[in-house]
Formats: sequence, structure tokens, C-alpha cells
Amino acid sequence: MTKTFARFSTLFDWLAWYIGASLLPGGSVPQCMRFVIIGAGRVGLRTARVLREEGHEVSVIERDEAMIRRARNQEFTVVEGDGSREDVLEEAGIADADALGALTGDLNVNFTACMIANHYGCRTIMRIDEAYREGIYRKYADEVDEVIYPERLGAIGAKNALLGGTIRAIADIAPHLQVVELTITNGAPVNGYTISELQLPANATVLAFGKRDQDLGLPDEDLSLEDGDRLVVLADYGVLSEVRQLLVGESEAQAAANTGSDATSGTGGVN
Amino acid sequence: MVTAFIMVKANTGEADRLRDSIESIDGVQSAHIVAGDVDIIAKASVETPAAVKEIAATQIQGIDGIEDTQTYIAMD
Repeated sequence: MTKTFARFSTLFDWLAWYIGASLLPGGSVPQCMRFVIIGAGRVGLRTARVLREEGHEVSVIERDEAMIRRARNQEFTVVEGDGSREDVLEEAGIADADALGALTGDLNVNFTACMIANHYGCRTIMRIDEAYREGIYRKYADEVDEVIYPERLGAIGAKNALLGGTIRAIADIAPHLQVVELTITNGAPVNGYTISELQLPANATVLAFGKRDQDLGLPDEDLSLEDGDRLVVLADYGVLSEVRQLLVGESEAQAAANTGSDATSGTGGVN
Repeated sequence: MVTAFIMVKANTGEADRLRDSIESIDGVQSAHIVAGDVDIIAKASVETPAAVKEIAATQIQGIDGIEDTQTYIAMD
């Protein structure tokens, strides 16, 4: 599971997959890893499911009885209790875990759990509850490896769905860097070019390419760009609308509207 | 002397600016950015309860980017 290539039937599946991907370390991922997820709500349980489907071991911590029942009905290993307590985390196997997903709606619980898990050498993912806090926790929360704001991720997915297919935001890499998947159209200025002939702006680079109806792969310089082919591009926000114009053939106004205010968002998100 | 702890909820990511503004208020001894459902906790030490109110309700709440404050007076 890398953060770039996958297909989803619903927005929520994509969100769970994205959070699951955040829990995994960069580079090659071992066959079976151990994860502890705190919070068996919609976000936590879906994330647990995605990880389990990929063959990883997951245990879930939850304190609400109805939520515990629901998780157990889906055959998850559930530890009952407060995820900010060390003994509860230990019971859930934090000592042997590779990563912790602190995905409750309670920031105090999430942060405390990340501190404890960090002490045990786990990778830590913390869910936050308000957009403005993303930057604060990225800067100050040394114990937290990645900050997740599900509402913003959901909005990226919803925006992509509304835009209708030719452009798909995949991930924010840094405050000004984004990975997007674009589908070449007949009207695109580069339609018919080969990949080696393609000249993107300086702050953009092609990561992967896939012919229509084929899987994405590393870009082969000799392949031609045609209607329906897909390119995955890493680009700075400043050149994103230019990239879109080149590859999708949007008018300048359309492209600006599709990137527009995102570029000025202080949290680095596609809102 | 009155010692008070003021919990500050922000509505902006500019936590540094808020902390620095709060720390520069007369009577505020320290301010820290914290994890949890508030963003900054400040400690004030002043002569009267009225001065605590002046710091929390007027000065801190007057800073752009502050959503809300909650004040606790020390009893010891």
C-alpha cells in the first residue's frame, strides 16, 4: 500500500485507505505489521479494516460499549478502555506494535497515546479535530509522526468527485507540494506527444504513467500521451494550474478555479 | 497577590504569534503552547482579581485569532 495508486468505490474507503497508508512506514512495507488503533468509530474502524485486508495485524481500543460490540461483530480484537492509559495500550500490544493510530475525537486522548506509543518506539498518527491545528501539531508535537484531519481529506475526495474525473488529488506531500493524477484529454496541448517530449514547468515532475485501462507504472520515455491515459505528477501549487492546462487542456480560467485559493491555504491542504 | 491560569482556545494556526502576544502582556509570567482541547495555557500573577479579568477578558480576548478563554484562579 503506497500513498499513490489505488482505486476506491466510496469517499470513505479512500479516507480509510489514506489513513492506513499514513500508518505504514515509507519505502518497502513488511508483509505483516502490527497496529494499534484507538477509537472504533467510523474513521478508526474503517482504517482497521483496510489494514486487516492488507494482511496486517490490528487491535482496536474503544471505551464505548456499543462501539465495542460493533467492532467485535466484525471480528476485530478489541481492548476495552481508555486509550490514553499505558496499561490499556500494553494490553492492546503496544510493546510489539509497529505503529499507533490515535483516531478518537478527543485530542487529549490522542496526544497522550502518541506520547506513550512514541516511548515504545512506534510510528504515531494522530487525528485532530480542527483545521487550524494541523500546522500547530506538525510543528510542535514531536511525538507525532503524522497529523490526520479526516474532514480535509474527505473534502479532497469530494472535490475530486465534483470535478469529474480528469484530475484527482492524491496526497499532500508538504505545504506546497501535491501529488495529482491527471487524465489526458483530446483537447490537451500535449495530446500525441511522447513522455520524453513532455516539458512540465520546473517545479513539477512525472512520477508514473498508465495507458488507458492499464495499470500505472514508471514512466517510459517512448510512450505517447493520448486521450484517456493517466499521469501522476508531483507539483508545487504554484505551477499546478499550468500543469493542468498542459495535460488536461483546461482553459486558464478553469485551471485557476480548480487550483485557486488552495495555493494560499496555510495548512497546505486542498480544501 | 492573585495567581491565575488562563486556558486559551485559538482559531488560527499562528500559535507562535499568539503565545508571544500573550507573554508580552503585563502580569503574564509565562505562556505555553499545549496539546489538547485548548491551545495555549498562560500563567498570570497580579495584585487583584480585577486585574486577572482585565488580562483574560480584555487583553487576551482582544488578540486577533483567539476564540475563547477560560480562567482558573489559584487558591493556595
